[in-house]
Amino acid sequence: MKPHRFAVLLAGSLVAVAAAGVAAEVDPKADLEAFQSFFKNKFPSLPWEEYANGSYALDPAWRANWELIEEFPPYEVAVAKGEEMWEVPFANGTTYADCFGEPGVQHHYPRWDKEQGQVVTLALAINQCREAHGEKPLKYKKGAIVDLLAYMAYESRGNTIDVKVPEDDPRALEAYKKGRDFYYTRRGQLNFACAHCHMGMAGRKLRTESMSPALGQTTGWPVYRSKWGAIGTLHRRYSGCNKQVRAKPFKAQGEEYRNLEYFHTYLSNGLPLNGPAARK
Amino acid sequence: MKTKVWMVLLGGCLAAGLAQAANQAKFDAAYAAAVEAQQKAASVSGEWRDIAKFLKQAEELAKAGEFDAAVKLAKKAERQGHSGYEQMVSQQGKVGPEPFLR
Repeated sequence: MKPHRFAVLLAGSLVAVAAAGVAAEVDPKADLEAFQSFFKNKFPSLPWEEYANGSYALDPAWRANWELIEEFPPYEVAVAKGEEMWEVPFANGTTYADCFGEPGVQHHYPRWDKEQGQVVTLALAINQCREAHGEKPLKYKKGAIVDLLAYMAYESRGNTIDVKVPEDDPRALEAYKKGRDFYYTRRGQLNFACAHCHMGMAGRKLRTESMSPALGQTTGWPVYRSKWGAIGTLHRRYSGCNKQVRAKPFKAQGEEYRNLEYFHTYLSNGLPLNGPAARK
Repeated sequence: MKTKVWMVLLGGCLAAGLAQAANQAKFDAAYAAAVEAQQKAASVSGEWRDIAKFLKQAEELAKAGEFDAAVKLAKKAERQGHSGYEQMVSQQGKVGPEPFLR
């Protein structure tokens, strides 16, 4: 056998063995079942759709406050600006509709893209669309991209989260596992994993804050946060969470947070989208 | 008499210069060790939030001649770098939902 053919076969075998290893380690369907059962047992009287409302589903005082805020939603301006962005053509005469068809497509994201070999979030897809049509990409955490995301989220309201981890591509399972590992890994000087606050502590107070359950956390993005005084993205929030436990945050739309979003959103499969939302 | 005064002054200046150089060298070593620890933590995605801030503050202190405080801060950054690395390495292959589902 020629050396290069042997090398190709060896490399192929190693990839297959590694993929089989990941497959043996992780079972997304079993994860989903265990995760959602955990919360149903923890809050047995909470209706399923209520998980989409975060800690407002559990704290009556904060809920009353939130309902008042929703009478004049602070994200409305962003939705209007986003609608304008959707309709105004790019320099080459095309629009976002040429990439996405319709604006209400948030329930198709994040998704595993076999050709690209990576998790594609809606924000990433927006910038890929722009670049494909000769436009500059937008900044990820705040600004114009959030307006467009707000409009697309608004148009996606009521659609059900249905993230898929395709079984025919081991790389997808690996991305899922990376997101899963991120979620359960202690990090920062405070030595907290995401799960410490949003599984064990869900519904309980940490100082003055009521901890939201991990189930349903991805339904309402982008979010107008009173703390920010602005509307921002899920990756901006991830960054804030990491800083709160005194870990160095990762880049918005970098591989770490996209994989995290993939896993995190998968866990909320079956819940309705209700973004954009308002939170404290 | 004048010669003696000049010699004393020159000696004083030399001593001060040597002390400054020694302090700078001590700081440079502490800073380099901290940067190495920071990079080691980053290599396993385990860098903590404040390391870069401590390093920047340490540099500013050293520039202002406050070497003791600068070295102290660089050592703090180095400790955090090692801790962040250990934190990540100690969890590799062991994390999962099981402890949180109980």
